Amino acid sequence: MHSLIQLSIVVLLLPLLSFVILIFFNRRIPRRGDFIGVGILGTAFGISAYIFWTVIVQTYDPAFRIAWDFTWIDLGNVPGVGPLQIKMGVVIDNLTTIMLAMVTLISLLVHLYSTGYMAGDKNYGRYFAFLGIFTFSMLGIVLSDNLFSIYIFWELVGLSSYLLIGFFFEKDSAADAQKKAFLANRVGDIGMWLGILILYSQFHTFSFEQIYANLAAGNFGLSNGWLTAAGILLFMGCVGKSAQFPLHVWLPDAMEGPTPVSALIHAATMVAAGVYFVARIFVMLTPDALHVIAFIGACTAFMAATIAITQNDIKRVLAYSTVSQLGYMVLGLGVGAYSASLFHLVTHAFFKACLFLGSGAIIHAMHHEQDMRWMGGLRKHMPWTFATFTLATLALAGLPLTSGFLSKDAILAGAIGFAKVEGGGIFYLIPVLGFFSAMLTAFYMGRQIWLVFFGESRTHLKPADNHHQAHHAHDSHAAHADDHHTSHGVHEVSWNMRAPLVILAALSVFFVYSPDPLDGAKGWFMKMIPTPATVVGEANPQKGALLSGNVAPHLAGVVQTTEVAPPAVAAEHGVPGEAKGGHIYTDTRQAEIVHAGHAAHYTAIYISSIMVVLGICLALVVYVFRIIDPEKTASAIRPLYLFSLNKWYWDEIYEATFIKGSMLLARMLSWFDSNVVDGIVNGVATLARKFAFVNDGFDRHVVDGMVNFTAFAVNTTGAVLRKLQTGKVQTYVVMLMLVLFGYFVLYFTRLIY
Amino acid sequence: MEQLTTIGLNHYLTISAFLLGFGLFAVMTRKNAIVVLMGVELILNAANINFLAFSKYNGGMEGVMFALFIIVIAAAEAAIALAIVINIFKIYKSVDVSSIDSMKE
Repeated sequence: MHSLIQLSIVVLLLPLLSFVILIFFNRRIPRRGDFIGVGILGTAFGISAYIFWTVIVQTYDPAFRIAWDFTWIDLGNVPGVGPLQIKMGVVIDNLTTIMLAMVTLISLLVHLYSTGYMAGDKNYGRYFAFLGIFTFSMLGIVLSDNLFSIYIFWELVGLSSYLLIGFFFEKDSAADAQKKAFLANRVGDIGMWLGILILYSQFHTFSFEQIYANLAAGNFGLSNGWLTAAGILLFMGCVGKSAQFPLHVWLPDAMEGPTPVSALIHAATMVAAGVYFVARIFVMLTPDALHVIAFIGACTAFMAATIAITQNDIKRVLAYSTVSQLGYMVLGLGVGAYSASLFHLVTHAFFKACLFLGSGAIIHAMHHEQDMRWMGGLRKHMPWTFATFTLATLALAGLPLTSGFLSKDAILAGAIGFAKVEGGGIFYLIPVLGFFSAMLTAFYMGRQIWLVFFGESRTHLKPADNHHQAHHAHDSHAAHADDHHTSHGVHEVSWNMRAPLVILAALSVFFVYSPDPLDGAKGWFMKMIPTPATVVGEANPQKGALLSGNVAPHLAGVVQTTEVAPPAVAAEHGVPGEAKGGHIYTDTRQAEIVHAGHAAHYTAIYISSIMVVLGICLALVVYVFRIIDPEKTASAIRPLYLFSLNKWYWDEIYEATFIKGSMLLARMLSWFDSNVVDGIVNGVATLARKFAFVNDGFDRHVVDGMVNFTAFAVNTTGAVLRKLQTGKVQTYVVMLMLVLFGYFVLYFTRLIY
Repeated sequence: MEQLTTIGLNHYLTISAFLLGFGLFAVMTRKNAIVVLMGVELILNAANINFLAFSKYNGGMEGVMFALFIIVIAAAEAAIALAIVINIFKIYKSVDVSSIDSMKE
């Protein structure tokens, strides 16, 4: 076993240890054991950083990969299924290494931050325990080398997310939100499990490597449609977990959880797990499945961005922004911009975690006021928060010199390239939606910055009646509750909450990832995570095998295979100065997309910069210079405004369709139950009663009748015979004589005849 | 006529049958317990006559022995029966057998 594998297992198990210690013993440990959580995560991060250093910095090999597995459950030859072995394993490649470092770092920072944010909460110890189990499950997803264990950890992050969303479970809204999140995730997970089963039914293995090798060898015994279906079903897991349309509704509600949790789970790591998972299965996605993914990503990005511009809750704006950015990542995977998408995953994790922690600092300082309409002027009171928040905002909006610019631009370039290669007009919708969302992102983040940090404090503008409701609604931990919502109480947060902000903001600057502030492809990240060659594409034996029924002999799917590249594409790839020129793909479609995406790099930069500047200008015009009054504009386009404010009415639509539908179904079943099933039961009961009644009658009249008749007969006979028994000897003698006489008569009669 | 002139078995049996009839009649109809006892004696004597008649015409001594025993037993029975009658009289102040029906219970 490789030493890095051993270390990674240690990293995986450390947060579990933290969970076990804290969940059972937090009340017996001073400070409820928060230092144990922070310390253990610090150790885990230290080891992850060492792995990162070894793999990324020292080895620096795009094809780096070590794996180790063991048979976990051997069920032998199961009848009707075949040999059933469930293996567990760890794979470490560049993506894993980066994710490992990112997850442990953000988790460590969130732990540290929470020691300030959650101080005084009555369930303080349990909170850290939940963070521990979450980190454990998330690392499990990252390290898994097979679909089965990834599914287990997938459900575990779902559980930890459920527990943490509902951490303030005494609030009804938090309890509802956690149930909503859990149910929405279940819908996606069912699809994911079905997808896993389709693949398992064909290959009798859960391992990624073996599945891809089998696919590349053309061993998939069903039609291509089934492969597409398997891809889309697996993607459903991502739709649920990464809050893609149409299952995005849970993520904004998940903001009921503590803010550091929102930063860790609902911005940086867990929701990105969906994207990570799609990246893991990227090579087996057929072009059709990728189209679906791209369109869903584009729709999500655009829809969430339009919703974010009208939300008033500071966390909800960020939540919709997260949904929108996740849409970008999914879009990126769908259009084949694999590296760009994962790049965006990592950059987004840092700057969005920074934004959420910043908003947490603001909420903390404002005594649990979350409504941006009553904030304002916080710039002077919270300089650190302001600086880091602004930097992260610029990264989110995608301004040059930030990490977000590099990754978002790479995705959009990929989208343009994709649209060009696909050629259809409808495919241009994807980059157009992407660019439009970029503008909206700049706009709503500009709005947020302005509303929160600039201008005068508007705390006093808050309506009094509303005040109390909102106060109680957001009164999460009573220890800090304070009725004076004035800016006099606002002050910068303590160092343990400031340090994470600074670190995360520092990681949102371009030079961490790439020496060129305009081109992420020149950076280490995109070099280390090249787009893997698909195993199911056009030039692949898979398709030929499916069509002709022959199994092609050679095995494609190795990342850097150099054979059978179409000459034209190969020539194009020879163009000097191309950062990705080293990769030549056997699949023509994929090769063209990668190439076109690269060619569109500067187009994307220009358009997206213009869009971002437009968005920021619009925000300035509306909120800073007040040339356009937002109130008047809102009332002028009231239907559109309400459409956005009410989140495209998705909740209402689901209420009207699925919830009402399930209620209707439940009512129908209830009716069926109470009428048909109960009817049968009652019918049987009635029949039994009728039978019993008949039986009773029989018993009462026939059986009892016989008994009573016997009694009556005996009684009557007795009564008659009693008359005979006079007690007088003479009567008896007479009777004796009569009997004797009778006997004689009989005797003589017989004698005569 | 021979039957009328010569006394044979039938004469004895006839006498005994009459005695039995009278005895039974007395037992069945009389109200006085003493008279009933007398009826019983008649019946016993009727039986004795039968035994003796058959004994004579069979030539054995068994009938005679039986008759002797019956006479003895009749004496004993008369003593016991009279004692019972006296006790009945003591209890019921009457020897009217028709009014004594306590055996009914």
